[in-house]
Amino acid sequence: MSLIRVDGLSKSYAGTVAVRGVELELRAGEIHALCGHNGAGKSTVVRLLSGQESPDAGSIAVDGVPVELKTRRDAQTAGVALVDQELSVVPSLTVAENLLLGDRDAGWLNRRRAQHRRARRMLDDLGLTHVRPEQRLSTLGLGERQLVEIARALGQRARLVILDEPTATLTDVESEHVYAAVRSVAAAGCAVLFVSHRLGEVLALCDRVTVLRDGAVVTTSDADALTVPALIRHMLGESPASAPRTRAESGETVLELTSVSVPGRFGDLSLRVRAGTIYAIAGQLGSGASDVLRGLAGLHPALAGQVTVGGARLRTADPVAAARAGIAFASNDRKSEGLFLDRSTGVNLLVTRIPALSRFGLVGARRWKETASRLGERCGFPANQLARPVGRLSGGNQQKAFVGRALDRSGTRVLLLDDPTRGVDVGGRAAVHGLVRNAAAQGVAVVFSSTELDELVDLADVVVTMYQGRTVARHDEAVPGDVLLHEMTHGTEPG
Amino acid sequence: MSAVTAERRIVRPRRTDVLPVAALLVLLAVGASTPRFLSLDNVKAILTSASLIGIAGLGLTLIVIGGTSVSLAISQSVAVSAMVFLAVQSAGLVVALVVTIVTGALITGLQGLVVGYGEANPIVLTIAAGFALTGLATGVGGGTSVSPTGTGYTVLNATPGGLPLSVFTLVLLTVAVQAVLDRSVFGRLLYLTGENRPAARAAGLPVGRVVTVAWVLAGALFAIAAAFSGAFNTSANINLGGTLTFDAIAAVLAGGTPIAGGKGSARRTLAGVLLIATVSDILLLRGYSTGAQIMVKGLIVLAVILVVHLRTTRGRP
Repeated sequence: MSLIRVDGLSKSYAGTVAVRGVELELRAGEIHALCGHNGAGKSTVVRLLSGQESPDAGSIAVDGVPVELKTRRDAQTAGVALVDQELSVVPSLTVAENLLLGDRDAGWLNRRRAQHRRARRMLDDLGLTHVRPEQRLSTLGLGERQLVEIARALGQRARLVILDEPTATLTDVESEHVYAAVRSVAAAGCAVLFVSHRLGEVLALCDRVTVLRDGAVVTTSDADALTVPALIRHMLGESPASAPRTRAESGETVLELTSVSVPGRFGDLSLRVRAGTIYAIAGQLGSGASDVLRGLAGLHPALAGQVTVGGARLRTADPVAAARAGIAFASNDRKSEGLFLDRSTGVNLLVTRIPALSRFGLVGARRWKETASRLGERCGFPANQLARPVGRLSGGNQQKAFVGRALDRSGTRVLLLDDPTRGVDVGGRAAVHGLVRNAAAQGVAVVFSSTELDELVDLADVVVTMYQGRTVARHDEAVPGDVLLHEMTHGTEPG
Repeated sequence: MSAVTAERRIVRPRRTDVLPVAALLVLLAVGASTPRFLSLDNVKAILTSASLIGIAGLGLTLIVIGGTSVSLAISQSVAVSAMVFLAVQSAGLVVALVVTIVTGALITGLQGLVVGYGEANPIVLTIAAGFALTGLATGVGGGTSVSPTGTGYTVLNATPGGLPLSVFTLVLLTVAVQAVLDRSVFGRLLYLTGENRPAARAAGLPVGRVVTVAWVLAGALFAIAAAFSGAFNTSANINLGGTLTFDAIAAVLAGGTPIAGGKGSARRTLAGVLLIATVSDILLLRGYSTGAQIMVKGLIVLAVILVVHLRTTRGRP
């Protein structure tokens, strides 16, 4: 019996088709997985179903009745609840208050007793007997907060509960609790749409799986009939060929990690990074890939283990020391932790070399200008763009400016790029990759994190895959994309 | 947006420029029609009243540009510095000045250390520091005023060319602070830190040091204002600073330096303090009460903030 029917759903953003003609049928009491590689259209489908976007074409029907979901409120009324990647619970409120947040039956009086009774019932329904309604949410771990959010979704009398990567940042034990909760949600007669990058859990937990590729449904089939390799084949179609690599001359070791870890993020990573070589750390959200780079840049106070740069031990948890040792870091959050958006492109290119452009504490205006235009030219900015605020440039150009500030600098020995082409179009991507290769050719050691298979296969000389905070494998030779995807999404080497 | 419109935008005055220009014209027209406004004596009076607030305002400008909000302990810092200045007069003017400036730099610099390295909230911290300074001054001095122990300070009350020394000092310091902001490594880093501290941190810029240096320089500037104030009043107690904290904040804001940091200049603060002094002067000459003067000061700050806000939010996606 189909509870939710989606027909011919399409949506494009500024000319780019995100999903095309998606058909989806969700039955009452089933756990339905939505899989696909980055950019396949998963998030768009989730946004359309939860009322955050309106489709260009197609229809959504609940119990055979067509509904129009223009806002999240509409979706709630229609019985669709979303448990988002970013938790939308309030840590400073109690569990009960969180559970009844936005509840339309609550009335306007804060009746604590009744609230607690209802909250208790909602928690019990999910088997969360150890959580007390009067407890502050901040006293719970991340996994339990996720469970509270699921309980809230269920308590909103949802017919369909959408979980968008609920376990990405959770430990195995916490994940198990989420699975148990999801099973009891389904047992209560709801449909569950489960979006996840972890293919092992998808096959173990879900009844049916729908795979998206390039915005369209490739297949919908029973989970029993699928294996991880088969799922990966559906997600990738033709596996990106491993292009013959022109291996860079391996230089001397510039960066050495010995048993480096960040509690709760990743553990026990040892790696020798050679000059002129491009390393990729491949891992999905929650794998710890991005934390490795942040840690090396001095932005993780809890980093443990030993890091040496050029033979000298690096003082960890100190971004200034990291920069002085020659580590340049480009955050994956370009806007809030990367660029100075109101400043010109020229200034942004020069941010890390201000002392080098000055004598006796004074900045030489002419050298400043000359360096800016030389770097601008090197990164492919027309002269008139240099004076414009960098915040007005496209994502690709912003990233060029961001990467460009580490280039042509005698002091840069290691370039760390956290997801360097996030939100960057195809043209910008090629330009950014060009700059990165250039830097490596100059003898800089590059370490980047990514989940994009093309990027991992094309750009990296060495790929290290990570899953849930541990290293899965290291590939010094060319490696096909499906192997990488298997390791990133399943945590084991295929075959 | 194409490059063509970008260039045009620079040449052509923006619509939001109309308001400040119109306001300035109105101000001049009202001034010209006010008896005695256009006299040399009156210009001197305006400059004199602007000078101390202006010098303190320059210090505050550094704090604001660095993105560390404002200091709410300016009055107390100035009062304590002035007390020190008068108390060490017996050692001679030069020594007294050096001691005062070092004291002022220390008082505010220590706060800057906590704000810069400890990432403390400057508002909360400076409120606490203000109370601490008041308590310290009252405890040590027993609540009495400090009288000068020498006569060297009278030099600061000189009026070469008919203008008080403090006015020349304000102009010189404005040029100096502007040069530091424009030309020095510290200046560039200060603007970057103020605009986006997480980004500056991630880029490995010495964020803590930059903020601390800004506060140290601010403290030195507060101390210079304090020396003039102590010399002028020939005695100092903890209440010497009066409403200086908020006058300085008003001057910085009226100049159009946004409170969010990353932008602004010493020139703007000079303009802001002159604007407020001129308006107050016109109101005074026209016989308005002190209440009206204070109210208008508030309105000026409000209007400028509005214009700055419109200018920075227009044309953004």
